[in-house]
Amino acid sequence: MGTLVGRDDKAQSSAQLTRRDLLGVAAIGLVAGAPGMARAASPAGQLTYGIHVSMAPTWFDPAETQGIITPFMVLYALHDAVVKPTPGNSAAPCLADSWTMGQDGKSYEFLLRKEVKFHNGDPVTSDDVKFSFERYKGAAHELMKSKVEAIETPDPQRVVFKLKEAWPDFLTFYSSASGAGWIVPKKYVEKVGEDGFRQAPIGAGPYKFVSFTPGVELVLEAFEGYWRKTPSVKRLVMKVMPDESTRLAALKRGEIDIAYSIRGELGEELVKSPGLALKPVVLQGPNWLYFPEQWDPKSPWSNLKVRQAVNFAIDRQGMSDALFLGHCKITNNAVVPYTFDFYWQPPDAVYDPEKAKKLLAEAGFKDGFDAGLLTCDSSYANMAEVSLDNLQTIGIRTKLQPIERAAFFAGYSGKKYTKGIIQGASAAFGNAATRMGSFVVKDGAFSYGSYPDIDELFPAQANELNHDKRATILNKMQQLIYDKAMYAPIWQLAFLSGVGPRVGESAFGLIPGFAYTAPFEDITLKSA
Amino acid sequence: MRQFIIRRAGYCLLSLFLLSLTIFFFVRVTGDPAALLIEPGASPADIAAIHHQFGLDRPLWVQYGLFMWTLAHGDLGQSFYYQTPVIQLYLSRLPNSLMLAAVAMIFSLLIGVPSGILASVRVGKFWDSAGKVFALLGLSLPSFWVGLVLILVFSVYLRWLPSSGSGTPLHLIMPAFALGWYFAAAHMRLTRSSMLDVLGSEYIKLARLKGLPEALVIAKHAFKNALIPVLTLAGINLVIMVNVAVVVETVFAWPGIGRLLYEGITFRDFPVVQGVVLMGGAMIVIVNLMIDILYAVIDPRIRLER
Repeated sequence: MGTLVGRDDKAQSSAQLTRRDLLGVAAIGLVAGAPGMARAASPAGQLTYGIHVSMAPTWFDPAETQGIITPFMVLYALHDAVVKPTPGNSAAPCLADSWTMGQDGKSYEFLLRKEVKFHNGDPVTSDDVKFSFERYKGAAHELMKSKVEAIETPDPQRVVFKLKEAWPDFLTFYSSASGAGWIVPKKYVEKVGEDGFRQAPIGAGPYKFVSFTPGVELVLEAFEGYWRKTPSVKRLVMKVMPDESTRLAALKRGEIDIAYSIRGELGEELVKSPGLALKPVVLQGPNWLYFPEQWDPKSPWSNLKVRQAVNFAIDRQGMSDALFLGHCKITNNAVVPYTFDFYWQPPDAVYDPEKAKKLLAEAGFKDGFDAGLLTCDSSYANMAEVSLDNLQTIGIRTKLQPIERAAFFAGYSGKKYTKGIIQGASAAFGNAATRMGSFVVKDGAFSYGSYPDIDELFPAQANELNHDKRATILNKMQQLIYDKAMYAPIWQLAFLSGVGPRVGESAFGLIPGFAYTAPFEDITLKSA
Repeated sequence: MRQFIIRRAGYCLLSLFLLSLTIFFFVRVTGDPAALLIEPGASPADIAAIHHQFGLDRPLWVQYGLFMWTLAHGDLGQSFYYQTPVIQLYLSRLPNSLMLAAVAMIFSLLIGVPSGILASVRVGKFWDSAGKVFALLGLSLPSFWVGLVLILVFSVYLRWLPSSGSGTPLHLIMPAFALGWYFAAAHMRLTRSSMLDVLGSEYIKLARLKGLPEALVIAKHAFKNALIPVLTLAGINLVIMVNVAVVVETVFAWPGIGRLLYEGITFRDFPVVQGVVLMGGAMIVIVNLMIDILYAVIDPRIRLER
């Protein structure tokens, strides 16, 4: 077929082991003592989570993945994917041992691991992979199904996706931007039905479903037959605790071991509490300021120097220190997160209000100007308040217009905020191309205008199969966004969580950009 | 009497119909549920798919008609978020709410009624003033603040009680106290005023003139009669406690109906909000109907007047 483009690290490393290595490992085992090895092999103990949102049964079914990151907090435990982001690899073969792309880019062949089983003991086969893809009805399912012509299963270990035309983003969508590559057992789903599956899901992930009480808790138990490694912790209890203060109190008391989402002053309190640790994770969600009037020649925003002035006026580090204990990542790339494929790193952001004032004066706005409204999602009005103050300092006068989250994004995509400044954000999955497709180029869902030189590069990359050539085009597009100061980047938002004293490895941050603990099989307890 | 009951039942059905209409349209004013189920930047096709899945792409009057049709069959619909029948969710949370409300009610009566009696027999003195301060605090301190202070003191510092959750009697103490605190103040005020009314009546004066001991006058003659409005209020309060303990249940992660309503509002889960509000409304309407009927049985003038 084509070139081998994915392979399991573990298989590679084990293939390279020599007899001397094995003797060395055996010796270490003897010195370290058998009990340690027994502990590693046999899961023990319980780890309790305080979850900030109420879990839904749809989170147990990859077919229902609606393009938000939250359900993946459970999917990573219950299920496994053919290819998925793992520590150090944004598209690692998991249920697949390897995968190859056809020379023409119109087919992808996945070779599944042998001996991999679902929680009920059934083997994971190519039929399950095909069934899971066809059953998938979550985010981007229409797009994916419109691109795939056929799925062939020549044998139980081999599955071939035939595409209608070359689609360089197939693997991005299959591995991370949807739930289509997460595999469910065909026979079991057909036996128990859709509702039955959601009530008692079976997957191929490191943890088995034990019980779920809506609004109360989800209980999971280690699956000792998991292919990557046997989980260290026997039992996971995910308790729904909607109030942030209550989660912190429970963490302090040792009632829970991990508390998701502890922000602001409570985060400071957590840092001060003995035995507790703050675990910040930088999300794949950048925040930015956007100037919808920049294409209107009569508007001050059409002047490049005005937009550049805003970039110099924002005190990103000060804002991060004040609101997120300094844990947000200032990349200076407005819309593409640093974890995405084809990311381009712009020069460092600079906070220099004097230079900003000078640029404004050069643009003919020595005394500043009235910029109208700064419209934002009310959940992040605190960030917008800081931006407003920063802009005020250099003479750009604006008024805050916080709008309830859903209404804000509806208005943003509905192109209703045509004046002033918009403070936007996105944590959608994808890569640099998908992100710019929504926020930068002509006809993007959130584009209020575009630049022809950026637009003409977009279709050129869409059909480019050579990764390096494609990266060159996409990097050029990001550079043009930076040069034109089309956006004023703020940062990539940090998600702060707390960890209690019993936890050894929490697995926070092992998968870049992922807010929650994963992979679950890497989590350890100190006492276990 | 039969006509009276039929007329009152008709009013109840009309109230429930108006409530269903109001909640159905009000909940839709809050925005599009799809916006909360998908990341910004999602394709219009994905948003349309969610609308279609939940039937939100149909005209409003069709949606309302379907809602009423399923309601007439005892079905409150399917939760958008939980993908589970709302009635099943409601009934799974109801026992927790009933338990919390019952204990909170016991707290509120144990604190409110004796302090109200004490305040009424010591008018203008220390206990009366203390009662007024208690009532003021009870009615003005927000229950989430009371809850958080309780967690801080009894859970974090003293480590006597679990901070949140459910499962043991210990889990019930703080949420029940936080919920009952407000109602205790209300019961205290009503007990005090009701007792003062009764204590000023002729038959109490007569009892005292007859030389009955003061304790007997208060306990046997005054308290019994003063208790009627308090118990009436307590009955309605119990229904309110069951259905709208939103803040307390959220702070203490107590899996009751109030938190179900909170989750429904948070996720714009229209069927859940509609179901919880309608069930709560039905409870209040039924309790009121029963009270009306009982009053009519006790006092025939009521049914003749109406």
